[in-house]
Amino acid sequence: MTMPDDRVSAIMARLAFHEVDGSGTLALCEVAAELTGASGASIMLLSDELARGSLCTTDGVAVHLDDLQFTLGEGPSLEAHARGCPVLEPDLALHASVRWPVLVPLVVAAGVRAVFAFPLRIGAVRLGAVTLFRDVPGPLDDSQYADAQALAVVASRTVLALQANAPPGSVAAELEEGANFHFVVHQAAGMVSVQLNIGVTEALVRLRAHAFQTERSIDDVCRDVVERRLRLDGGDPGGRGAPTVIATDG
Amino acid sequence: MTREALLVRTLVELADNLVDDFDVIDVLTVLSDRCVEVLDVDSAGVMLAAPGGELQVVASSSDAMRGLELFELQANEGPCVDCFVSGEPIVNLELSAVDDRWPRFAQRAVADGFHSVHALPMHLRGITVGALNLFRLAPGSLHDEDVLVAQALADVATIAIIQHQASVDAAVLNTQLSEALNSRIIIEQAKGKVSEASGLDMERSFQRIRNHARNHNLRLTELARGIAAGTTSIVGLDPLPRSPQVRAISSNPWPGREAPAS
Repeated sequence: MTMPDDRVSAIMARLAFHEVDGSGTLALCEVAAELTGASGASIMLLSDELARGSLCTTDGVAVHLDDLQFTLGEGPSLEAHARGCPVLEPDLALHASVRWPVLVPLVVAAGVRAVFAFPLRIGAVRLGAVTLFRDVPGPLDDSQYADAQALAVVASRTVLALQANAPPGSVAAELEEGANFHFVVHQAAGMVSVQLNIGVTEALVRLRAHAFQTERSIDDVCRDVVERRLRLDGGDPGGRGAPTVIATDG
Repeated sequence: MTREALLVRTLVELADNLVDDFDVIDVLTVLSDRCVEVLDVDSAGVMLAAPGGELQVVASSSDAMRGLELFELQANEGPCVDCFVSGEPIVNLELSAVDDRWPRFAQRAVADGFHSVHALPMHLRGITVGALNLFRLAPGSLHDEDVLVAQALADVATIAIIQHQASVDAAVLNTQLSEALNSRIIIEQAKGKVSEASGLDMERSFQRIRNHARNHNLRLTELARGIAAGTTSIVGLDPLPRSPQVRAISSNPWPGREAPAS
């Protein structure tokens, strides 16, 4: 078996080739999927045990998987980050519904049959997770597993190296390019907190619940709130001002 | 305790320091104390290069040793200085023979009762980060095996320090990234609250927050944090100035510039 450093070098070489089309961090996701025979991949940034958003996603299924985890607050990427070790589910339909009871039926319905999440970490520092998924069940072989771990190392170093050049107090532009940090969700949380006279954290919970109940993506729901097409207090989105009676959304 | 047992204990001790509450001074104090226990030397000390490149005394097995090392730095001559500059070990130098090489240092060290000095470089991948000083009171030379053991201990301590530095750098960058994201999130939340309470769109809401922060010499993030947490009243925010330009093209969030194509 090749030494990890050789795998890291091979990944760097592949990335250099990818960088030609100026895809930024997206190349990391694409190389991750290619090397491991996955149908897609995502890289999620997490801090304080919370999903902050996706740095890159290979396709719509990856977006869906990340959005569901962001909305539900559970899933393989969050677990890999929290535990600091790989989380492997080679057959989602068989076992995993106990582990993530709400998430699994939804991702299986989206065609995901196997999922593998690897933490992004450097020593004790944890940044998030790279997550691979497949449309057929089956485990990663040894070489794919080693490549996924090497890729997680490269991704961790890349994120920090890019952030090292960012102006103080801001997120590096290269990290924001192609990323979705769900800023619209936080704008909507601010609006809903005023509508319902609750804190922004609770407002975020309400928005997540609404997205889940209506089976819509959280970004779509929040865009409707921000563009005043939807209110969570039962008020008329066309009118101004919240009704005096605060409605519940249960 | 046998020498081997002492060595193993030292290595375990150095490794233990890597896990939690890592402290460079603790690691190097362990290193200098154990050198005196394990090797045939009477005093040991460690100097490390500060970020600017100048050497600093970091750990010493005794106060007398510390005084001598500080003197060495002030005089800018002595085994540690030479070892750091050349990156090469200095072994078994009799102080009586180095009067012309380090006149001031040799005089002071002999006055302190030392007979011979040794300095081993602390380096990793070609970079010298410091030096380990070993001093003997009795005449006679240090055994080859002692030199090897001393260098091995110095190497372990060096790896510990460099690994620690890399992980501190990563932790600092990760904290910066995490805080930058948090600030953005708090600003977006504050924009949402101002937008809902005042009927402005997101861009105008942001301008109102920024305008108030400027007028009152507040940091944008701090003001946004107060708004998001509900401790700063939205009603109390300064209204946006109604300049003619802004009224004329109210959808343009950048007065004076062309509105972006929608």
